[in-house]
Amino acid sequence: MNDKLVGQPLVRKEDPRLLRGDGRYLDDLGRGALAAAFVRSPVAHARITGIDVDEALDVEGLVAIYTHEDLPGRIAEPLPLLIPHPDLTHPRTPYCLANGEVNHVGEAVVMVVATDRYLAEDVAERIRVTYEDLPPVVGIDQARAGERLVHEDAPGNVAARSVQTNGKGEAHEAIASAPHRLALDLHIERSASMPMEGKGVLAHWDADDRTLRVHSSTQTSTSVRLAVAAKLELPPDRVEVITPDVGGGFGVKIVHPWPEEILVPWAAMTLGRDVKWVEDRREHFTSSAHERAQQQHVEVGFDEAGRLLGLSVEIWHDNGAYVPYGIIVPIVTSTQLLGPYKVGAYRVEFTSLYTNTVIVTPYRGAGRPQGVFAMERTMDAIAEYLGMDRLAVREANLIQPEEMPYDQGLVFQDGRPLIYDSGDYPTMLRMIRDLVGWDGFEAERAAAAAEGRRIGIGIGAYVEGTGMGPYEGAHVKVETTGEVVVSTGLTTQGQGHYTSLAQIAADVLGVGVGDVTVITGDTRRFKYAVGTFASRAIVTSGNAVAIAAAKVAEKAKRIAAAALGDGVAPEDLELVDGRVRRRADPATAIDLRTVAVLSNPLRYAFDEETKAATQFAAATATGEEPGLEATGYYMPERSTYAAGAHGVVVETDPETADIRILRYCVVHDCGVVVNPRIVEGQVHGGVAQGIGGALYERIVYDDAGQLVNASYMDFLIPFATEVPHIQTAHMVTASGLNPLGLKGAGEAGVIPTSAVVASAIEDAEGLAVRRMPISPSELYELRKARQARKEQVSA
Amino acid sequence: MDFLRPATWAEALTARAERPDAVPIAGGTDVMVELNFDRRRPGALLDLNRIPALRQWTRDPDGTIRLGASVPYARIIDELRTDLPGLAMASRTVGSPQIRNRGGVGGNLGAASPAGDTHPVLVATDAVIEVESAERGVRAIPATEFYLGVKRNAMAADELIKAVLLAPAKGPQQFSKIGTRNAMVIAVCSFAVALDVAARKVGAGIGSAAPTPRRPFEAELFAADALPWDSRADLDPRIATRFGELVAAAAAPIDDVRGTAAYRRHALSVMGRRTLTWAWREHQSSQSCQSSKELT
Ligand SMILES: Cc1cc2nc3c(=O)[nH]c(=O)nc-3n(C[C@H](O)[C@H](O)[C@H](O)COP(=O)(O)OP(=O)(O)OC[C@H]3O[C@@H](n4cnc5c(N)ncnc54)[C@H](O)[C@@H]3O)c2cc1C
Repeated sequence: MNDKLVGQPLVRKEDPRLLRGDGRYLDDLGRGALAAAFVRSPVAHARITGIDVDEALDVEGLVAIYTHEDLPGRIAEPLPLLIPHPDLTHPRTPYCLANGEVNHVGEAVVMVVATDRYLAEDVAERIRVTYEDLPPVVGIDQARAGERLVHEDAPGNVAARSVQTNGKGEAHEAIASAPHRLALDLHIERSASMPMEGKGVLAHWDADDRTLRVHSSTQTSTSVRLAVAAKLELPPDRVEVITPDVGGGFGVKIVHPWPEEILVPWAAMTLGRDVKWVEDRREHFTSSAHERAQQQHVEVGFDEAGRLLGLSVEIWHDNGAYVPYGIIVPIVTSTQLLGPYKVGAYRVEFTSLYTNTVIVTPYRGAGRPQGVFAMERTMDAIAEYLGMDRLAVREANLIQPEEMPYDQGLVFQDGRPLIYDSGDYPTMLRMIRDLVGWDGFEAERAAAAAEGRRIGIGIGAYVEGTGMGPYEGAHVKVETTGEVVVSTGLTTQGQGHYTSLAQIAADVLGVGVGDVTVITGDTRRFKYAVGTFASRAIVTSGNAVAIAAAKVAEKAKRIAAAALGDGVAPEDLELVDGRVRRRADPATAIDLRTVAVLSNPLRYAFDEETKAATQFAAATATGEEPGLEATGYYMPERSTYAAGAHGVVVETDPETADIRILRYCVVHDCGVVVNPRIVEGQVHGGVAQGIGGALYERIVYDDAGQLVNASYMDFLIPFATEVPHIQTAHMVTASGLNPLGLKGAGEAGVIPTSAVVASAIEDAEGLAVRRMPISPSELYELRKARQARKEQVSA
Repeated sequence: MDFLRPATWAEALTARAERPDAVPIAGGTDVMVELNFDRRRPGALLDLNRIPALRQWTRDPDGTIRLGASVPYARIIDELRTDLPGLAMASRTVGSPQIRNRGGVGGNLGAASPAGDTHPVLVATDAVIEVESAERGVRAIPATEFYLGVKRNAMAADELIKAVLLAPAKGPQQFSKIGTRNAMVIAVCSFAVALDVAARKVGAGIGSAAPTPRRPFEAELFAADALPWDSRADLDPRIATRFGELVAAAAAPIDDVRGTAAYRRHALSVMGRRTLTWAWREHQSSQSCQSSKELT
C-alpha cells in the first residue's frame, strides 16, 4: 500500500509556478482589449443633478460613455439581493451605475470605455457630474440617531432587526436573578480585507457563436455566470466564466455580481470588442467592500464560579450603503459569539444599519472576530469582578466533550440548527495554557518588571462554523497518459487547493500527488458549484473529490477485472502505485492508464496504446459509459464546527505606549488535517491579518463621509516586522458529519486575535480595553483618562 | 507629458528655467506617488538622473561634506555613518530597502513634507542647502530657513537643489522616530539631537509635529547650559526630563489618523529625554576612551 497522502505536509504544487512569476492574473489577460474606467462619486450622499460629457468627447481614443440612462432591460434594475432573509425588512441594493442618487464616496456614476486605461481615465476626468448634497450618515451613532436617512424609505436607517434566543429561558430574567451582573459597551472599528490583487473583469463576446466569455477575479465563477446570464438575458449555456489566478479574496470577491461584472460584459456585447477593467487600489478602498464595524452592549449574569447564567447582547452593525449580501455578518456574530461556552439563557438582538459608506460584506472571519471579542471581553470582565483567574472562568463555562454533539439552540447562517458536531474544548484550553506559558507568567511578569518592562498575557477561544452547504462537486478523470484531472467548480485564491485536493484524489486512486492536476473556477470544466468562502472548500470539495474519485476507482476495478479475465472480480482488486492489481496476487495487475485506454472502446487506433482498445483486441467491460471518469457531489447536512484557542504575550512601552507582541500561540482543531503545512500557513496568514485588525488596520471616514486613509500609506497592513513567530499546536477531533472527517481552516487564524490582544493589553496595563483596534496614541489616551479619573478621586 | 533628460547640470538649470511647468525627478519616490494618485499632472518631468555630480559626495577643504542632492539613503548609511551619524540614523528609518536605494535628501527637501525624516537632522546640525539657478547662480539657504510650510520650501521656480552642506559630527548625534508600524511608515513624530562638544552647544530638531520642522531653541539653550560638560558625570534624569518637556512645548502638532496632538507632544517629550540620555552616554564613553588613550 502507498503511504496515505492525506495528512502529509506536502509542499504546495502551485508555488513554483507562482513564485517564478508564471501566475496568470486578470490583468495579465486581454492584451489589446478596450479599457473601462469609472467616474465615481466624490461625495457621500447626494442627488445627481447633471452629467455633462461635452469636454470629454474630443479625447482621442474614446469609445463609449455610459450612464444609468443608457442601460437597457435588467441591467438598469438594482443588483440582486443575494441572500434574502425574513428579518431583512428594508433591503436596498445598488444600481450598476447610480440612478439619480449616490450613497457613498466611490459609487460608480459613469462608465467610460477607451482604447486604453490612461485615455479612459483622461475621459473620466473631463466628465462633469453635478451633485446636490444630501446630509451624509457616517458612523453607527449617527445611523442609530436616525435623524438623517441614507434611504428615505428605510426609517431609522434600519435594514434589518433580528432577535434570537437559545430556548433556555428569558435572558433578562436570568441576568436579573443572577448573584452577579455586569454590563459592557464594546466597539469594533471598520476595516477591510485588502487582497493584493483587486477586482477585475475581462469580457469577450463571440457574436457568431453568441457566446460570452468572462474572466473575473472572483471567489465564485459559477454564480457569476448565472448572475451575468440573468442580467444580460442570455441562456446560461452561452456564458462561460473563468477565474484566472486570484491574488487574494478574503471574502470581498464572494460578493457578486459587482456592477463591473455586469457592465464590462454588457459593454463587450454592445461594442463587439473585448473590454477589460482592473480595479486600482483607491477604487478598491472606496467601491468594493469593508467589514467589522459594530457596537455591542453586553449584559451578563453569573454565579460565584463565573458561570454564565444569562447573557444578553445587543449589536448595532454598520452595513454601509447597501446590503447586496444580506445580513450574513451580523447573523454570524450573534450566533458564533457563544464560542466553546454554554450559557444559560441567551438573547441576542442585532440592528443592521445603513450608513453613507462602502458596503459591508463578509471579510475573513465574517462577523466572528466581533462576536469573540464580545464573549472574551465578558469572560475577562467576570474574572476581574470575581478576582478569579481568567482561564478558570473560561474553564467553568466550557462545553464538555461528552456533551457533543451540542445544540446551541440557535439558527446558523446556513439556515440550519447550530449544533456543534465534535470538539474537545477542555483539552484545547489545557494545550493553550501550556503553550503560552500561562502558569509561569507571573514570574515572567515580575522579571520583566524588574527591568522596567511592562508585559501582559491574554487568552481567548472560538468556535467556527465551517464547511456549509448547499454543496460542491467534482469531476475526476483518468487520462490515457495516467494523469488524473480533478475539476471542481470551486475557485481558489491561494488556499492550496491544487495540492490538498490532489492529495485526496491521489489516495483514492493509488497514484502520486504529482499525477493529479486540479482545475478550479472554470465553468467550462465544471458548471455546478457554490464558491470558496466561509472555510468551506476542503470540507465540501474535498469530500466531493473523494466521492468522485471513489466512483472512478470502482469503475477502474470493473474494467480491469474484465481485462484481467481469469475469474478476477472487481472486489479482488486494489489501486496502488498507478496500477490496478489483485490484492492476493499483486503481480496480476494492469496499469491505470491502460484501464483508461480500455475505458473508451475505440473503432480507430491512433497509436500503439490505443490498439488495445479496438474491437478485435479488447476485452473491455461492457455496459460501461466511455471514459474513466466520474462526477461526485457532497451535500453537507449542516456545518461542521472547528475550534481554536489563542494565547498572546504583549509588551507595552510605559512611555511611548508602543505595543509589541512577544509571543503568539495557537491551538487549532479543524478535524482531520489533509495537509498540515497548508493549514499552518492558513493559520499564520490569518493571525497576521488578525494582528493587522488588532493593532494597525482600520478604515477611517471623516464626518463628511470621505475615506481619509484610502491608501497603503495610512491603511497599515502588518509587515514581517509586525508579525511575530507563531507557535501552533494541532488537535484533531474528526467531524462525524462527512466521510473524510474534515472541518474548515481558512478563517481560523483571524477570529480571536483582537480579543486576545485586547486581553493582553488589559493585563499589562490594568485598564479596560473596550474598543479595537488600538494604536499607541489611543493607549496613551486611555492611560491619560485613567490618570485623570484617579486624580479626580483623590481630589 | 514631456520627459526631459539633461546630461549636465548646466543643461538641467536651463531646462528648469525654460520649463516652469516641469517637475524635477530624482529617485521618484515622491514624484511617482503624486502622479499615480493624480495629485498633479506636470507638463514635463525633468529627470536629474543623468547628472553624476548629484550622486556624489565630496569633502571641502574645511572638512564640510558636500552631499549631492541625489545620493541615495543606502549610500549615506554605508559611507557616511561616521561623519554624519544623525543623518545616517534618519536615513535608516526611511521606507524600505527599495526606497532607500532610490530616494535621497534632495528629494526629501524638494517634497518638504512635514514628516520627512531627514529634516530634524538637517535643522539640528545647521545644514545648508545649496540651490542654483541659471540666471542668479548659487544660493546657500540655511536649513532652518528652507522650510516655509506644508510641502512648501524656499526654492524659486527656476532653482534646483545641488547639494547639502553638512559639518562632520562634532559630538554624539541621535535620531528617533515614532511610526505607526515598525517599517515603511510616515513619522507620527520624530526628533534629532546633536551635541557640539567643543562649543558646548546642543542642536535639536522636531519633525512631523508642526507644518515645518522646528528647532526647539529653548530646549537647546537649556541643555547646553545644564549638561555637565566639565565632568564625565552621569546625566541627571531631571535635566533629560526637562529637556523633553521643552522639546514638547516647542511643537505644534495636530490630531490626525496617525495619532492625537496630545500623544505627539507626549511622545516628543519621551524622545527628547531618551535621545539626550543616549547622546550623553555616548559622549561619556567616547570621553573615557579618549582619556584612557591619553593615559597609555
Ligand atoms: C513606500 C514609500 C515609503 C517612504 N517612506 C519614507 C520615510 O519613511 N521617510 C521619509 O522621509 N520619506 C519617505 N518616503 C518619501 C520619499 O521616499 C522621500 O521623501 C525621498 O527622500 C524622496 O527622494 P527622491 O529622490 O525619490 O525624490 P523625488 O520623488 O524624485 O522628488 C521629490 C521632490 O523633490 C523634488 N526634487 C528632487 N530632486 C530635486 C533637486 N535636485 N532639485 C529640486 N527639486 C528636486 C521633486 O521635484 C519632487 O518635488 C517614502 C516614499 C515611498 C514611496
